[in-house]
Amino acid sequence: MPRDFLDPYSRGNSICHRLPDRLKILLVLAMIITALFVPPENWPVHGCMAAAVFLAMTLAGIPLRYLLVRLMFFFPMIMGLAIAVPASTGFTKGWDVMATVLLRGTLSFMGVLWLVNVTPFDRLLVALRKLGLPQMLAAILAFMYRYIFVVFDELERMREGRRARTFSKQGLLASWKTNAQLIGMLLIRSMNRAERVHGAMCARGFDGEIRTLDS
Amino acid sequence: MHIADGIISPEVCAGMAVASAGAVGFSLRQLKKTETTKTIPLTGMMGALVFAGQMVNFPLVVAPVSGHLLGGVLASVILGPWAGCLVVTLVLVVQWALFADGGMVALGVNVFNMGVVGALGGYAVYAGLRRWMPSPRGTITSAIIAAWLSVLAASTMFCLEFALSGHRDYSLPNLFALMTTFHSLIGLGEALITGFVLSVVLDQRPDLVYGQPSLDIMETEPPRRSWQATPLRTAVIGLMVALAVAGFLAPFASGYSDGLEAVAEKMGFDAHVDADPQVLVLDEYQVPLGSEDSWFMSKLSVSIAGIGGTLAVFAMALLLGRGLKPGAEAGHAT
Repeated sequence: MPRDFLDPYSRGNSICHRLPDRLKILLVLAMIITALFVPPENWPVHGCMAAAVFLAMTLAGIPLRYLLVRLMFFFPMIMGLAIAVPASTGFTKGWDVMATVLLRGTLSFMGVLWLVNVTPFDRLLVALRKLGLPQMLAAILAFMYRYIFVVFDELERMREGRRARTFSKQGLLASWKTNAQLIGMLLIRSMNRAERVHGAMCARGFDGEIRTLDS
Repeated sequence: MHIADGIISPEVCAGMAVASAGAVGFSLRQLKKTETTKTIPLTGMMGALVFAGQMVNFPLVVAPVSGHLLGGVLASVILGPWAGCLVVTLVLVVQWALFADGGMVALGVNVFNMGVVGALGGYAVYAGLRRWMPSPRGTITSAIIAAWLSVLAASTMFCLEFALSGHRDYSLPNLFALMTTFHSLIGLGEALITGFVLSVVLDQRPDLVYGQPSLDIMETEPPRRSWQATPLRTAVIGLMVALAVAGFLAPFASGYSDGLEAVAEKMGFDAHVDADPQVLVLDEYQVPLGSEDSWFMSKLSVSIAGIGGTLAVFAMALLLGRGLKPGAEAGHAT
């Protein structure tokens, strides 16, 4: 799996990428909180913020097409929760609540999308660490991020093997069972790998403490 | 399941974030007590696995829709409750930081619903049930029940948080009924996947499961004892059944039929919506939860709910996990 599969634009070199990481996090946080507190009647404020996010995305070189694709995946998720409000009154009222939820949700989503696409994960981690994330949590997070790609590749290999051996379409229950067995075997392999990695780390003097050059 | 920003009010989010930070901090401390050099690699790898496991799609009857594993209970069952809570938390953080999945302000809410209530609470249910069913089959059954309950508990928490957020124009009983109906189905999928995955692990590497005897032949296993009905156990089972009935069957009896009637009326059986007596009834449900003018009350109740929720989960863990210990020890003595 390519390294930038998850956040394709995070390693650019625009003005947005060069901003201090902690500033970016606090900026987006402030924007989201403002969006949540401003009542929907003052929608021009939300409009201005949306325009600002668009401008920031353009400055960062994130194509509009990417934003639209991500929004397309985001909408069904927030819609599923938002539609429950009018549905709970038998579709008689609650439409304005739904609109408010959608407006605020979309704006916040775009803000975070900008943040994660102008800050590579490792730098985000360092910034979060400076903002008070406990050291052990940061260490586990870094380890997890490192091995996501490895586990993904392992999963792909296993899926390919299964495809190569499966000739007919499976029934519903059977496909659930094979999929779950896939995850089960992946779990065992990952835990075996964790044990091997742990052994290798201990062999290099690991004592439970992660030390980095910048801490 | 990821709650985006804008659905839950900032005050509730802040309360939940404090509660989550407390619970995650406590988990971290518990984990540090038993810390070995293995903690970081194992927990991190489990996080990567849950993350990758969520990418495996499980086909549903309706073709384009598919489900996937959530993994909270699975992580807890394999690594224990404290590491399980951390795994879910970190998966949520990575999904936020890489996919912008789930809101930034709502991260605390998501961690609380899925990590604290889902993984820690789910483990409490699992541990409690496993004391009565110590066999491998019993382990799987306990995990299946815990996985189903964890999804339902998370959706119930969402309804509670939504109610505290002070939105107008909705009906809590109907919302609860909708969410519960929907999530009992999702939970069924989660329970099935958890059970299947766990059966593979128990078959191949049973020593990986937390609390399971290691494969070391020098360690002898304490004799397992078959289930016996004691007054305490009967009481606990009765309580759980009562809670399950109250929590998950009551809305089907009252709220859901209301919802169906309302839809039926809206769909053309009754054009006079403003003369609908149901609206009045539902307004009454809203008042005690502080939706319109009791902004301060809702703020106050946020922190109470946050603390109360955490306490409830830990109390549940203690009750189910430790309350039955005397019986287990008596079993060892015989």
